[in-house]
This record gives sequence, structure tokens and C-alpha cells, in this order.
Amino acid sequence: MKESVLKRMKDLPSSHLLGAGTPMCAGCGGLEALHEIYDQVGAKSVFVNAAGCMTLLATYPFTPFRGSWLYTAMASAPAGAQGVRDALDILIDSGRLPPDEDLATVVLTGDGAAYGMGLSATSGAIERGLDFLYICYDNEGYANTGQQASAATPHGAQTSTTTLGYAGYKKDLFGIWAAHRPTYVATVIGAEPLDLARKVQKAMSLAGPRLILALAPCPTGWDFDPQYTADVGRLAVQTGIWPLKEYVGGEVVHTKAPKQRLPVEEYLRLQGRYAHLFEAGGQAGLIDEIQARVDAYWDGVER
Amino acid sequence: MYRIRFHGRGGQGMKTASRILGSAFFRAGYEVQDAPRYGAERRGAPIFAYVRAAREPINERGVIAEPDLVIVADESLVGIAAAGVCQGLSERSVLLINSHEDVATWTHRLNLAGPVLVLPAREAVADRAELPFAGTACAGAAAVLVGVIPRDGLEAAVREELGSLPQQVIDQNVAVALHAYDEMRDHAGLVREAPTRSAKDYEPPAWLEPVFEDARHSAPAIHAAATSVQVRTGLWRTLRPVIDYDRCNKCWWVCSTFCPDSCISVTDDGVPEIDYDHCKGCMICVAKCPPHAIGAIPETDARDAALTGEPS
Ligand SMILES: Cc1ncc(C[n+]2csc(CCOP(=O)(O)OP(=O)(O)O)c2C)c(N)n1
Ligand code: SF4
Ligand SMILES: [Mg+2]
Repeated sequence: MKESVLKRMKDLPSSHLLGAGTPMCAGCGGLEALHEIYDQVGAKSVFVNAAGCMTLLATYPFTPFRGSWLYTAMASAPAGAQGVRDALDILIDSGRLPPDEDLATVVLTGDGAAYGMGLSATSGAIERGLDFLYICYDNEGYANTGQQASAATPHGAQTSTTTLGYAGYKKDLFGIWAAHRPTYVATVIGAEPLDLARKVQKAMSLAGPRLILALAPCPTGWDFDPQYTADVGRLAVQTGIWPLKEYVGGEVVHTKAPKQRLPVEEYLRLQGRYAHLFEAGGQAGLIDEIQARVDAYWDGVER
Repeated sequence: MYRIRFHGRGGQGMKTASRILGSAFFRAGYEVQDAPRYGAERRGAPIFAYVRAAREPINERGVIAEPDLVIVADESLVGIAAAGVCQGLSERSVLLINSHEDVATWTHRLNLAGPVLVLPAREAVADRAELPFAGTACAGAAAVLVGVIPRDGLEAAVREELGSLPQQVIDQNVAVALHAYDEMRDHAGLVREAPTRSAKDYEPPAWLEPVFEDARHSAPAIHAAATSVQVRTGLWRTLRPVIDYDRCNKCWWVCSTFCPDSCISVTDDGVPEIDYDHCKGCMICVAKCPPHAIGAIPETDARDAALTGEPS
């Protein structure tokens, strides 16, 4: 494994590969992460994209990608990636494609596909040891269709299907992937670009199933002013709500664990989807519950 | 039949405006059709919604080509040809613009055959949280201009359509809608119905002509890289980030990395440059720049400055 050559912020690229002019919302946190990720993945790649906001990236005849892109049904992106990988391998084995023209096989989906509809196809692909990078931008809901709740929606958050707050709990996709013993799993966020770039670089230097799971603050679905996308992201890390970590070689390591965690309230307060927690006579007990769950997580890490 | 189009940007409540007006018509005994026009684009992009209302069943479908009333929630859209604000306006169509400028200015600027009205806009758009009210205000103004919707019918429609929101937000929206209704009262009934046309007179728009294509065309491949730069998402912007190069400390990475749209690149000398053809005006760079070297100005001011040759 190659150790990262990214030592400091100034090592980050100053011009970017992903094209401007996409139909994503102004201030989209998913696009913020993707444009940072794409600088590391590069143009020698095939993106296999399941239905979601980012399907709109490539709307004929426009694409922001410099390499290939193809679209699959929501549940099937990892199966699509298997086909692409197999085709590339066959072309190379039969001498029809020079090995140095090989392409990285990349899956790009939202949380609706990654945590829910596509999980079976994902599990199968990891089990088969498929050599692919899975990028999930997690905006904690079915954003493209109007932010309905998904298996990634956090407890208490309002969505268009849970107007009183989501009763369930966010699924632990990092843990589900790690339980499959794949090559690499990491959480990232666009608001921590150096940590993100190092992890994507590491993932790109490895073979086998790899996940980059990016929390994607979504101004439209989470209801905050788009200028705060990076601030909401930074607070997700500093409150401990979004632990930055990686799984490699059977071990989980936390990168950028907050030294002094901020109260979760500071993260929740910026977002309209939690406004009901702050109303007079509202559900203040929920804030305490969310805080207690975050504390319990970090107690487990620090022990 | 009344044919009404609302123009705004994704996020300004145009769909809600059309629903409120539709419900208000329905309560007044009309058959109603209301629909937003969704493109692939989203928050900030030009969008429109439309309403048809008639005493008899409505057989017309699709986008309204010959409107009796066009309402523009965001004045910056008028100059954008792609937004199609002025499409189909005739001497009998009323154009209502939510604007800081007056009727004389708009009349002179647009030189239209039909009447132009202005709904005085609220304070400058510095606080974008205010923008959703634009939709409710437009619905309120439309309700009085058609002359057949009573004030209490409008209020009931707002309450019905916003029913799932907190009470305080509903009350604010009702106040905004009624204020616009009262403000435009002098023009009550200015918008008049146009006759319903029979299907025989209907001309399909050219793009509906289905042409048989082979698979290469119907499942097309794109053979060039980053063609998205052909799409000028800079037209979405209502606020413009402007770099004060005296304060920029050439940190190299902050604005360029955080901009989701790859709109800020850094020259070899470490100087950031904003690509205004594509910047959507999210203002993340303004929020993140460590020495606060990036400021925000309303896009309309920037365009006016460009027209009069003043530096922005
Ligand atoms: C099987 C299937 N069900 C429903 C849809 C409709 N659909 C399109 S995008 C989308 C939301 C996907 O959510 P997510 O994967 O989180 O991506 P996001 O929209 O949040 O970017 C849905 C439900 C679909 N395309 N396919
Ligand atoms: S809905 Fe959210 S995730 Fe989807 S494009 Fe808009 S900001 Fe991005
Ligand atoms: Mg999602």
C-alpha cells in the first residue's frame, strides 16, 4: 500500500477535473465531496451510477466526467460494475486492450441505494471480491424524489415521509461493509478535504472491494442555507456525529477524532429538519437522546 | 378559461404558488389544473408552474403557450431568454413582476403590447430564507388580479396547501398572501379569461413530433469529456461572490476545494479566479474564506454595473 503523499492542505489540487455546469443544487454537499474525490480517482475510470440526484450529472449530451459513465437501476449498480470489470478483464486478457489502458471501476450511488435497495447486490459483489470502488454520497434520504426517509435517515430528522421526525435509527453501513472483511472502508466528508483525499488515494492504491462513504450535507433536503454546507459538515465531525474512520487489514482506525466534542445541538440547530426539536414545548428530550448515543459511541472507541 | 404562468427559481415556492392559486380557484367553483414544470435542474435554476381554471371541464394539456397572466417572482429571470418569461405574451396578457423597480422602468425596458404591473418586492435578497414567501405573495397577487377569488377564499387556500407546516409559518404566509392581495386591489379583475379552444384548433408544439430513431440515437453515448461546461449554470445565481484581491492571502485551497461546482481555480501565482459562467451562487466560498476576502453582492446590482460600465 502506498502511503499518502498528501502532507498538507497546499498539496490539494488547485484546479479540478470534474466539469462545472451540472444540474446539482447550489451548495450540494454530495457534489462538494464528489469533486474532491474525482480529483483523486481521475479520468481513467468507469462510473456506474444508480438512480438518485447524481444520475442527473450526465444528462445527454452533457457530462461533467472526463472518463466513462453508465446508468443502472437503483438496486443494481454493483452488478453493473461486475459486468464492466469482467469486460475490461476479458479485453485485457485477450490482448484487445493494453493493460496500461485499464480503467478503475467505480460505483456511485446515494444512501437509498447503498443502505437499502442495493445492499443485496453490494453484499454479493464484496463476497465475490469484485475489484471496485464504491462511492456513496449519504444525504440521509431519497433526495432526488423529495427527501423521503431512507435507512440512512438519522433518528428524529424530519423528512417528507416522517414529518414528526424519523422514528428509526441510521443503519451502520460502515459496520455492515467491515463485517464482510473487504479491502478498505472509509468515512469521509467534503468539509475535511485532506482527510478525504488521503483516504481516496489509499483506496485507489488497493485492489478488491472498497467503500468511500461520504456524508453529504444537502441544503435542499436538510433545509439550511447553501452557504453553510461546509460548516454543517465540519460540525458533523466536531460534534462526533460523523466519525471519520477507516477499516483496513481487519482494524478500524479513527482519523481526525475530535479532541473536545462540541454539543450535538450546534449541528442540529443549523438544520430545518431538526427545527421541531427546538420549538417551545418541543421534543427537547430527543436532543439528549441523540447526545447520549453519540457519547456512547465515542466511549466505546476510547475504551 | 384562465391561463396563468408563474416563473421563479427552484426553491422560491412556485409550485406552492400554483397550488395555492389552484385551490383558491377550486373553492370559487372552478375546474382547475395546476402543475409545476420540473426539469432535471434544481434549487436556484429557472423553473415555472402553471394554472388553468375554467367553469367547464378542461381538456387542454401541457405547458401554457398563450398566457392571460404571467407572474415573475424573481426579476433577474426576465433578462434570461432560456427562462421563457415573455413567451407567448400578447396585447391582452398581463405581466406582473415582483421587483424593486417601478412600473415605468419595466414598461420602458420591455416595450410590451400588454399591461405591466409591479408587485413591490420585499427587502433585498440578502437573506435567502425570506425567498419562499415570494411564492405566496405571487399567489396572493394573482388571486386578486383575476377578480373572481374572494379574500377569505385565498386565505383558506393558503391554509389548506401549507397545512403540514408549523402554525407560525402558515400564519406568516397568510399575512404575506393577503398583503399582496390588498396591494394589487386597484387592478382587481384586470386579467380576463380567453375563450376555450377546441381540440381542432390545437397546434402541437414542434418538439412533440415523434421521429423514429435507431438505437444509436435513442440510447446515446457522449464521446467528449466534461461537456457539462456548455451549460451556463451561472444563470441560477441571485447572489454573486466577489473576491477582494487585496485581502486574499493566497491560501491556495480553501475556496477552490470547497466550491462544489469546480468554479474556482487558482492561477500559477496562487490567485483564485471565479468562473461566473458556472457559479450557482451557493456562497460557500463567502462563508469559508479565512480572511473574509470574498463578499456577496446581489446579482442584479452586478448586472446593472456591467450594463453601465461601472466596475463591480
Ligand atoms: C427501484 C426504484 N424505485 C424507485 C425509484 C425512484 N427513485 C429515483 S431516485 C430515488 C432516490 C434515491 O435515493 P438515494 O439513493 O439516497 O439518492 P439521492 O436521490 O438521495 O441522491 C428514487 C426513489 C427508482 N429509480 N427505482
Ligand atoms: S437534493 Fe441534496 S443531494 Fe440532491 S442535488 Fe440537491 S443538494 Fe445535492
Ligand atoms: Mg440520498
